[in-house]
Amino acid sequence: MDKLLSIFRPSTGSRELRRQPLFTGMSWLVLLFLYAPIAVLVVFSFNDNRSVVRWTEFSLRWYAAALENDDIRRSAMISIQVAFTATVFSTIIATMAALATTRGGVYRGRSAAIALINQPLMIPEIVTAIATLAFFSILRQLTGVTGIGWLILAHTVFCVPFAYMPIRARLSDMSVTYEAAAADLYATPWQTFRHVTLPLLMPGVMAGAMLAFVVSLDDVIITLLVAGPGETTLPIYILGQIRRGVTPEVNAISTILIGLTVAMVTLTFFLQRKRK
Amino acid sequence: MIDVRNVTKRFGQGQAAVTALGDVSLTIPEGSFFTLLGPSGCGKTTLLRLIAGFELPTEGEIALDGQSIGHLAPNDRPVNTVFQSYALFPHMSVARNVGFGLEMLKRPKAEIDGTINEMLDLVQLGEFATRRVDQLSGGQQQRVALARALAPRPKVLLLDEPLSALDLKLRKGMQSELKRLQHETGITFVFVTHDQGEALAMSDQIAVMSAGSVRQVGTPEEIYTAPRSRFVADFIGDTNIVNATLLGFDGDAAKIQFGEGTPLAVHTASTSLAPGPVHVALRPETIRVVDESAETALLRGEVVDSTYFGAGSQMLVRLEDGVSVHVQVSTPRPVGSRVGLECDTSMLHVLED
Repeated sequence: MDKLLSIFRPSTGSRELRRQPLFTGMSWLVLLFLYAPIAVLVVFSFNDNRSVVRWTEFSLRWYAAALENDDIRRSAMISIQVAFTATVFSTIIATMAALATTRGGVYRGRSAAIALINQPLMIPEIVTAIATLAFFSILRQLTGVTGIGWLILAHTVFCVPFAYMPIRARLSDMSVTYEAAAADLYATPWQTFRHVTLPLLMPGVMAGAMLAFVVSLDDVIITLLVAGPGETTLPIYILGQIRRGVTPEVNAISTILIGLTVAMVTLTFFLQRKRK
Repeated sequence: MIDVRNVTKRFGQGQAAVTALGDVSLTIPEGSFFTLLGPSGCGKTTLLRLIAGFELPTEGEIALDGQSIGHLAPNDRPVNTVFQSYALFPHMSVARNVGFGLEMLKRPKAEIDGTINEMLDLVQLGEFATRRVDQLSGGQQQRVALARALAPRPKVLLLDEPLSALDLKLRKGMQSELKRLQHETGITFVFVTHDQGEALAMSDQIAVMSAGSVRQVGTPEEIYTAPRSRFVADFIGDTNIVNATLLGFDGDAAKIQFGEGTPLAVHTASTSLAPGPVHVALRPETIRVVDESAETALLRGEVVDSTYFGAGSQMLVRLEDGVSVHVQVSTPRPVGSRVGLECDTSMLHVLED
């Protein structure tokens, strides 16, 4: 426990903090309530029994059942298709926005632009979802276009601020002298971006992309309202299954999702740490 | 040749505008080692950035060999920079850093490879071509930065305090290496520094700057021995600044008087001064100590301190008007004794304020 806490310990004043009454107990409680449910879910996904409260024997049968379930496979494919496309577009947009807000000099309305890009993070998602639904209904009627494109568009939009944050953070940390040096050595603005800015920015871009991917993969509320028929993503499918009671099959899919998310977050962490 | 004509640079708008350079004109001769010297905030780096193209002049024009370049983008100017922080590209090898300029100019690969080898040999880093830049020491990174900036054979090389991050010993070595490189390549070097010793040791010409303007341009000898203004005299080396009265001018010589002493004719660069109290510079090593009663003594005072420094001693003499003067002597007079100070009148310089 001490070892674990030492990771988070700031260099000064930590000794005093640790001596506060209840500090250790509180820490244990918080960690317990954060991670115990997840641990239980993961453990019972390997349970041979149909019950999710009584352990009998280790088995991978629910993973097999999940992977053989056509509905799950279809919704997983849709999820990945939507998340991947939304990630690519939102990361490109976020990169351009980050460049404009850190490398575009000082201009009127820059702070407002940054606030506008980040604002969706602070608007309740249900509000965004209803607004998107209403707006897209109008657009659908006007254009007559239907299909999964609308869902991808909605995901792209709400992923932008998530991708924007790490990219902008990395750009702000990056000295503009590298770009000045490139320009000084006859690189055109495009060559400077291609050979200097982008390679140095890559860890930030990858971190932003992975964050966007996870956020898109995980989304329920906006997807629930915007998705058309046959556009059931994995979280929506799981939600539907839950209504009929928690099954070990759902535990198995959830565990796979957790594994995927943890892998991506870990990768993001290491990419960001590699920044120097 | 670089011609800086009436360049003004202001940062910010309206009331909050800060003038970094005010109406600066300067000619930098081709093939020379030219130093911009001044304290921090004097505008020397701004002038360098204007020549490089990282800033655009608010007013005025910069010309290179007769062609106006003041409003071109940095990549359109045949000028390269060695940055204070070196700014080597961390994701590229040493060789690719050095070849970057030629690569951007889309030169043939054979030419780029040839130049990389030539440049790395020039800075004695031949065996480091495949290294990553973060595996090099500070001094080695410095030389890579030089090789990178020299590789495209610019007409002008700009150096922004490139030695300030090195320790003293390395700095001395790099000073002579820079002079050698300048001599071998024949490229015009424009060097920015706040270190007057560095400027005197390396430059063909020095421009002393303060508060956004050029105070004096000249060879190191001219700047050192004949400072025009109080600022330049103060900034370059140890100097004594004493009070005198300007009586008038006799041709290009100024007639001055110390206290009630005999009027003296001394050289001055500025004949625009009004008669009255002025400041006169005299270097500690040009002063001789004589008896107080000596006829030749220009100034008289009391020894208040004496410091032995090996090759001689430095005495501090307080003059009658309270101004203290440093004097270098081989055998110091005892503290408390009264002395006279004499000096060739050619070593005296009337200063503008």
